[in-house]
Formats: sequence, structure tokens, C-alpha cells
Amino acid sequence: MTLLLQYTLIFASVLMLVALGGCFAEHSGVINLGLEGIMVIGALGGALVMRYMPADTSALVMVLTVMLGAICFGVIYASLLGVACINFKADQTIVGTALNMLGTAGATVLVKAINTAANPNDVSSVIQYVGAKKNFLVNIGGFEFNWFMLIAVIALVIAYVVLYKTKFGLRLMACGEHPQAADSVGINVYKMRWCGVLISGVYGGLGGITYILAGVSEWKFENGVAGFGFLALAVMIFGQWKPTRIALAALLFGLFRALSNVYMGFDFLYSLNIPSTVYNMMPYIVSLVVLAFTSKSSRAPKAEGIPYDKGQR
Amino acid sequence: MKKNIFKNPAVQAFIASLICIVLGLLIGYIVLLFINPSGAGEAIVAVVKNFLNSSRSNLRLKNFGNTLVKTAPLLMCSLSVLFAYKVGLFNIGAAGQFVVGSCACLISSLGWGWSWLPCLLFTILVGAAYGAIVGLLKSYCNVNEVISGIMLNWIGLYTTNMILNTVKEPTSPYTLHMATEAPQAILPSLGLGELFSGNKYVTIAIPLAVILAVVIMVLLDKTKLGYELKATGNNKNAAKYAGMAEKRNIILTLAIAGALAALGGAFLYQTDYEQWSVTQSSVPGMGFNGIAAAFLGGLHPVGAIFSSYFIQHITNGGAYVDLTKYSSQISDLISSLIIYLCGFVLFIKYAMNKSIAKREEKQAQKAKLASDTEKGGDGK
Amino acid sequence: MAETQYAIEMLNITKKFPGIIANDNITLQLKKGEIHALLGENGAGKSTLMSVLFGLYQPEEGVIKKDGQVVSIKDPNDANDLGIGMVHQHFKLVECFTVLDNIIMGVEPTKHGFLQKKEARQKVLALSEKYGLQVDPDALIEDITVGMQQRTEILKMLYRDNEILIFDEPTAVLTPQEIEELMQIMKNLAAEGKSILFISHKLAEIMAVADRCSVLRKGKYIGTVETKNTTMEELSAMMVGRNVNFHVEKKPAAPGDVILDVKGMTVASKVHKNNAVKNVSLQVRRGEIVCIAGIDGNGQTEFVYGLTGLEPLVSGSIELCGQDITHASIRKRSTSGMSHIPEDRHKHGLVLDYTLEDNMVLQRYFEPEFTSKAGFLKRGPIRAYAEKLIDQYDVRSGQGPVTIARSMSGGNQQKAIVAREIDKDPELLVAVQPTRGLDVGAIEYIHKQLVAQRDAGKAVLLVSLELDEVMDVPDRILVMYEGEIVGELDPKKTTQEELGLYMAGAKRDEVSP
Repeated sequence: MTLLLQYTLIFASVLMLVALGGCFAEHSGVINLGLEGIMVIGALGGALVMRYMPADTSALVMVLTVMLGAICFGVIYASLLGVACINFKADQTIVGTALNMLGTAGATVLVKAINTAANPNDVSSVIQYVGAKKNFLVNIGGFEFNWFMLIAVIALVIAYVVLYKTKFGLRLMACGEHPQAADSVGINVYKMRWCGVLISGVYGGLGGITYILAGVSEWKFENGVAGFGFLALAVMIFGQWKPTRIALAALLFGLFRALSNVYMGFDFLYSLNIPSTVYNMMPYIVSLVVLAFTSKSSRAPKAEGIPYDKGQR
Repeated sequence: MKKNIFKNPAVQAFIASLICIVLGLLIGYIVLLFINPSGAGEAIVAVVKNFLNSSRSNLRLKNFGNTLVKTAPLLMCSLSVLFAYKVGLFNIGAAGQFVVGSCACLISSLGWGWSWLPCLLFTILVGAAYGAIVGLLKSYCNVNEVISGIMLNWIGLYTTNMILNTVKEPTSPYTLHMATEAPQAILPSLGLGELFSGNKYVTIAIPLAVILAVVIMVLLDKTKLGYELKATGNNKNAAKYAGMAEKRNIILTLAIAGALAALGGAFLYQTDYEQWSVTQSSVPGMGFNGIAAAFLGGLHPVGAIFSSYFIQHITNGGAYVDLTKYSSQISDLISSLIIYLCGFVLFIKYAMNKSIAKREEKQAQKAKLASDTEKGGDGK
Repeated sequence: MAETQYAIEMLNITKKFPGIIANDNITLQLKKGEIHALLGENGAGKSTLMSVLFGLYQPEEGVIKKDGQVVSIKDPNDANDLGIGMVHQHFKLVECFTVLDNIIMGVEPTKHGFLQKKEARQKVLALSEKYGLQVDPDALIEDITVGMQQRTEILKMLYRDNEILIFDEPTAVLTPQEIEELMQIMKNLAAEGKSILFISHKLAEIMAVADRCSVLRKGKYIGTVETKNTTMEELSAMMVGRNVNFHVEKKPAAPGDVILDVKGMTVASKVHKNNAVKNVSLQVRRGEIVCIAGIDGNGQTEFVYGLTGLEPLVSGSIELCGQDITHASIRKRSTSGMSHIPEDRHKHGLVLDYTLEDNMVLQRYFEPEFTSKAGFLKRGPIRAYAEKLIDQYDVRSGQGPVTIARSMSGGNQQKAIVAREIDKDPELLVAVQPTRGLDVGAIEYIHKQLVAQRDAGKAVLLVSLELDEVMDVPDRILVMYEGEIVGELDPKKTTQEELGLYMAGAKRDEVSP
């Protein structure tokens, strides 16, 4: 049971972080379909830090530098989306898809290069972080608490406050709803959209490193992040672009994802003899069904996906 | 006045794609320089040369055949994407439709012992049905086709793994070899393989894919259905106003797109060139590469033939790089860079048109100036 | 520096675009505390001039002075800093934000980056009290009336302490009472020392509220007059360059059989929970033009959607030539003899990225004349048909039938639609605001076509917002107010004043269909 709780919380943290990232980008008016790629690159950033930091680094320094690594990589990668979609008005769907492919391909090439350079016989795309991983975990009576669970909660609070209590949030959302109106009162739409995209890089990068630290202690980058970026998009839509509802949606989806990892621990579920792939599928099926019922009254930002052109009024 | 060929949209699309390719290779080269400066140039050349890297001519021909074998499914996926895009739909679900197509042809051949034609037809049916789900969700529940397509990609993957688990080899995660277990389901070669020094994977899939590209072109440009579908894609309100059945058209479009991508699965697996691994945990890239090929080909069926070949060409070329220095995924890297750059195509075309307009204006001014002076300045 | 009487001056402004001079040596001087009207037709250069004032365009020649001093305006923020504010024709409001959020957006009071809405609210309430601008600060924009949205826009300017207020076609979306209110508000603002620029093409409103009026025509400055020394006729002549023949030449109508019979039509609204069209019954006969008049947003659009099949009916029935088409598809209605010139030519009327010829057959492409049995388009006949229509209806375009519709002028796009719909040889022609956004020449042309249809024995149902059009073109007027037909008028016997009373809901009859 604690295992289920533990997995639910960690997967929910991942989904929440990434979905909030998507939420910032979409509120600014940019659809970030490349979250999956941003997660991979963010995970790569964090994993590289863990690989190169000396083993005796203190836990706090380790946690902070890994976060920083993931955030930096995520932000830089997200800026590829920003350049294309904001400055060059590229189709946001194509660019997002390209970023997803590029993320996995780029990370694989890079990690393989690093591994081969270290050991000519090693052509794998795996980074190990058995030692470093311990710094993120605190064992509380059988429950493995991961610092990223706390970070996800803090990120949620920050997202809520920034969106609804600050002038930045007001302006950001105006750019996603009615950029012409924002422009007419002197708000720089391009700048705000850049902010939205970069923040989604921060959140996406953090989500990526959280994901690879969730269970395993090494990561094969050829596998990407197994569709979590897309699942996070579903969480965001299910959460109707509102941070608090996103948090609840993330918990629900996290639970389904966790079940596929630990269902064998439950005699009841085990006796049903359902293959694990069914549990893997569940979150996608649930989100599809939910979307089918909720999409009619969607409250998506009105101007999302439409490149802003100052000259066009 | 002489007509400027650079104004021709087809020429513009071609140039824009060329720019994307060159820039993609260039950036790929720079990345390689960072990884290992000593062999970057060679590696790029190896990727671009692909089968030309082989020293013996019959091996070269055989490897050319292998590239074509994988081009056929890619072309089908790119046709699926571009066909839907013409109707204003982004069929990211092509990846999943390719997967269920693979599933349908493998289970019907290996599991049920059907021969190749019924397998193909069954694949078409399954793909069309799977595509139609996206269409139904879009037209009746207002679910964005990108989101539902992504969800269905994963659902398709897991379902396929589960179903094909029944026809896999006992000792490996791969499905049984069709050549030995279900030879009746292998697509006929009609002697095509002989042209590629006995490449047994070369089948009618390749000409069929090209023929289907032409069929799609004719369907879009010459028929009533194409007229309706494109009108719906350009302006669905106007299409509704003109009495076209919008919902039916969306569902029909995605069903056709689904069938095309699913056929891609059959064109790959019914040659026994590859076997399906039931433990794979990510959606095969074929459908996503199809998006790249569709855009690189300027969203035109004929363009897609060439761009599909090109993308497959460099993907296969990845096998020829010096693996002690780089990994074969650099070709994935390059093709994803190219699709990223395809996002800039609109801008490139805009820049081209702008520079043409500027030049024309200058010429017009010059001409005017010249005629003014000829008149002897009677104006002033 | 001598004290000047002008708040803002735009002197000798010239702005050129490739192939067109949008503003040719235009001078506009706005006195402090006055209401100054800027009059001109569509395309006269009003919006270009305002874009120059807001720094969106840089003029090739001319200067802008504020209080006598030359200023440089590079972007809207500069204009804002100079105290210039504008209420745009299409409101720039974020629909899912509150009134208060919209007002403070861009100049939010904050402490350490956090919003301080309390003091903002007090300031807004004080301003709304002072100028009589009643709003609910906490209501969402999407829930309030158009009038209140406009008051929010005005408060936006006042909250920024703007001294120069520009109103761009502010009355187009308002009911007569709201217009009355707005006029009063503008007068209050001027009395408080604000300088107001009022952009309009409605002569009566200009006469009622403005002190002076500057007129533009085809990019040129025509002149400035004091409204108390001029007449509507004079202003109108300045605006269009000649005395316009407002009257459409036509013979008396000779109505025949009933072509369209609508009984008890009710259509739901997309915007609010009430029905947009309530139990409307009407008939249109062969050989007459019936006009549905009303202020924008009183259910005319929904009525047409219900009639043409774009929206389903809640209840009621429709008969066309004696055939019940209540539940017929759009295509069926079209082939049964209904033609529809839609309200929005870009949204419904045209596939903008299609060629002109493909747009010409938009309603007929499926007929055997244009499609073979195997489902292939017959390109030859389509080209020939398009060329015939282009010739017959004088549709001008760059490359003839292969011109992309998007690249054509609005007037020619509309002509193409009119040609397509009329050439279908319908029994009933539904024309919704067929002259919207067109110049005088095109308007006259389209009016003549409508009358010609009537004289050819067709039934014509015209839906219009323009009073001149309502008075001159039809043989019968039905006034629609809040989704109901509230009066039937004879254009020869009624006056604009009486029509206005019906449109405003101040007068109503029990109308039998």
C-alpha cells in the first residue's frame, strides 16, 4: 500500500510539474507539444550533473545542482520552440513534434558519445546514478520520500500565485486570451510568450529529471520518457488549464500509472490476471474518455496556437 | 514581362525544402564536430552516401533495395499525414495507425494463416476504423485530433504488444518470421527483387506506395471529393454554408488517413524485413518520420515520394557511420533537425517573395527612370 | 512657448503604402475640451491616420504636436504616455477576465509584484461615479452587455488619466438608448476638459454630439467645418464627393404567390441561455423585397442561420415554394431554390485560398454540369462558367478565374458571391447585409441587382442594419427586436424616426404574418 502511495505521489509530481509547464506556455498563447522532448533533455541535464558530480557531494548541493542542470537544459531546449513559434511564426504542432523527436535522438547521440569516449566498447545510451540517487530519497518508515514531491508542491503553489496574484500572471494570461488587447495596453506580447515558453522549459526540465529518478537508478535515453509528456498534456486539459485542478488530475493519472508498477503487490488485482500492459494503457484510455466528455465545454486559452503578428489587427 | 520562376509555388517549395535539408545537415555536422571533431565530415558523408558506401556493386544494389523497402511504409505514413493536413487536420495519430496496421497484418497472417491480399484488406479496414475514432471524437465530441491521436498512439502500442504476444517466438520478444511461418502472406515480388540483385524483401509494396501517392494526388486535385475536403480544410464554415457534410468529411478523411498509415505497417511487415518486438515501450518513429516527410515534401504527394526516400536514405545511412566515434542515431538527429527546420518553411517562402517583390520594384523603378530619360525629361 | 488651444495636432501627414497613398497631406487639429468628429467612408484613410497617431505606422511626411510641441510617437506606449487613449470598434477586452482586471491591465498597481486590487477598485468606482459610467467591477466581460463593455473601455482610458479620448465607430454595436447614453457620456467627458475625437460615418450622430467635424475622402483631407454651421447634406457631399442619389430607382412591386412561409420559428442563442429568435412568423412573396431591419444582435443572424439550415430550429416550420424544408439539409434547401448571400463573406461566403473559379461553383460543383459520374471535376466547364459570371457581373481580379480569392478587393469578392448566388436562379434570395463594407459604387450595383431579381419574379429577403438601405430598397419592412418581429412598415409611408422607435423597442404592433 505504501508502495502504491509512493509511486502515485512521485508519478503525480512528474505529471503535475510538466502539466504546469504546459499550462504556462498555453496561457501565454503557445501550444507546447514538445513537452516530451523537453522532459528528455531536462532529464539529460540532471543525469549529466549526477554523473559528473563527485560522489561525496553533500545531499543539498547535489539536489540543487541536479535541479539547476535540469532547469538549464529544459530552458535552453524550450527556447528552440520559442524562436520558431514566436519569432518565426512556425506551426506550433510541427515544431513541437520535431522537438520530441529531436530530444530523444539528440540525447541518445550525446550519451552514446560520452559513453563511447569513456569506454570504446560501451555503445549504450545509459547513464547510471545509483549513488547520486540516494541524495533525493528519505526513508520514512518504509515510505521512500523523494524531495521532488516537495518541489512539485512548491512549484504548484508558485504557479498558482504567479498566475492569479501577480501582474505578470494577469499579463501572461491576457496574451493567451486576446493578444491584441494586451498589445493595445502596452504589453509586449512576444516577451510574455517567451516567458511562458521558458517557464514551461523550467517545469518540463524538472519534470523530466523527476521522472527518471522515480524508480530506477539508471536511464536508457533511447527510450525517451515513454509518453509522459503527452500524458501531462492530457492532465493539463483535464485540469482545464487551472493549477489546482491540474494537481488533482495529476494525482488521478499518477494513481493509474502507479498501479501498473505495483498491481502485483495486491492479491485482489493480481488474481484478476490482467496483463500489465492494460494498466499501462489505462491512463491514456481514461484521458481519452474524459476528453470525449469534457471537450465540448473546453476553456482553453482562446488565442493559443495562433502566432501573434503585430502588423495584423 | 518575363515570368520569374522563383514565383512558382512548386519551385519555392522545392527550394525551401532544399534549404531545410542543407541546414539540417550543416547543424548535424556542427553537432558531430562537438562530439568528435576528427571524423565529423566523414560521418556526414557516410550518412548521405548510404548504400553507395558499399564497395561491391551487387551489395550496393541490394542495400538500395533495402532503403526502398523501408521507404514504402514511410511514404504511406507521410501520405496519411499530408492527406489529413490538406483537410486541416494534423494526423499525429499516423504513428498509432501504422502500429495497429502492423498488428492487423501480423495477427491475420501469423495467427490466422491468411494469405497476403486478405491480410492487406484487413489491415486497411482496421486502420480506417482506428483513424475514424479520431474523426468521430473530433466531429462529435470536439476533441482535438492531435491530443486524441497521441493517446491512441499509446493505446495502439500496448494493445498491439498484447495481441502479438500470441504469435511471438518462444525465446525472443520478436514475432515469428513470416518467411518460414506464413510464407503465403509475404507480398508478391513479381520479379522485382531480381532487379536489386536478388533482394527478397523488394516486393510490390514499393510500386504500390508510389501508385497510391499518385492516386492521392488525383483524388485531391481532380475529384469532387478532393474539392470538398480541401474546402473543409481551408474554411469549414464556408464548407458548411455550401452544404458539404463537414462531420462526414472529417471522419472520412481520418479513416482514409488511417488506412494509408496502416498499409504502411503491412508494407513493412509483410515483407518479413523486420519483426515486431512485443516489449517495445515507445511508439515506432515511422509515423513521426511520416510527418517530417510530408512537410519536407511540401505537403504534395509527389514531393512526399522524394522526401520519404530522402529521409529513409539518411536513416539507413546512419548504419554506415564509424560506430567507434558516433552512434547510428545521428541520422535520427539529422532528420529531426530537418523537420524542426520545416517549421520555418513559411518564413522562408515569405522571405523569398519579399526579396522578389523588392527586386521587381527596383527593376520597375529603373525601367521607369530609363524611359523618363529617353523621353528627354519632358516632364521636368 | 505660447499657450495653444490645441490638445493634439496632426499636421500635413502623408503615409504611403505600395501602390496607394493612404493619407495624403492630412491635417487634423483637436481643440482642448471639444468633441471633434472624423468623418469618412470605408477606405478614406481614417484608420491609417489613427494608426499613425498611435505609432503603429511612421508617416513619410508631417508632424504630430501635443500642446503645441512636436512629439515623436514610435509605438502605442508613447501614445499612452502622452495621454492618448482609444476605444476600438472591436473592443480590446479579455473575455474571461473581470471588468476590473481589464481596466487595470498594463498599469496594475502592485506591491512587490503582487496585485493590489483594492485601491484599483476604489479608483474605478470613483471614476464611474464621476462620469456616470455604471459598471460592475467584478463581473466577467463575457457576462455583461455590449454597453457595459464599452463603458469598461472608457474607464480603461480614464483610469490611465488620458486627456485625449478617441472613439472609433462607437455606436455600431449599441442600441438607440445606449447610443443616447454614450452621447451624454461624451458630453460629460468634454465638459470635464477631456478632448474627444469621434470617428464615424453616421451623420446624425455627428450633428448631435460633435462641435467640429473633419472630413476625409480617398486618403485626402477635404476640410473641417463647425457642425452648427452645416447640414447633413453638406457633410454627406463632402464625404462622398457628390450628392449621392440615396434613392434606388424601382417600379412598384407586384407581389405574387407566397414563396417563403416561416411559422413560429424559434432558434436558440449561442451567447446566452434565452432563445435568440422567438416565435417568428413571416412570408415573402414572389416579386417583392422584404427587409428585416433591426439593431445588430437582435436575432437577425440567428434567424438567417435557422432559415438557411446553419443552425437547427428549436421549434417552428419553414416552407419554401410549398415544400416543407424545416428539417432539410443545407444542400437540400439550396437545391430547392434558396440562395444565400451570407453576412460574413470571409467566414461563410468564400474559401479564401481557392481560386475565383472554384469559388464561383461553390454551390453547384456537384451538379452533372461540373462533376462527371465518376466523381471527377470537369475543369473546362468550370472555367467557362466562371468566365461567364466574371464577364456578366463585372468581377475584377488580377488573373481572372485563377485569381486566389484572398487577393481580391472586398467589393469584388462580394460581387463574386452575388453573381454566384443570383446565377443559381433561385426562387428565394436571402441577402444578409449584402453591402457591408463596400464603397458607394458597389452598393448601388448590388441594390440594382436585388431590384432586378425582384422584377424577374423572385422573392428577396434582405437583412440590413443600414437605415438608408432599409428605407430605400425593400417593398416591406419587418422590424426585429430582441428576437421578435415587432412591426411591419411600408417604406414609402414611414419615416426614419418611426423606424428608429421600432428598432429601439420603444414601439411595437401585433404583427400578423
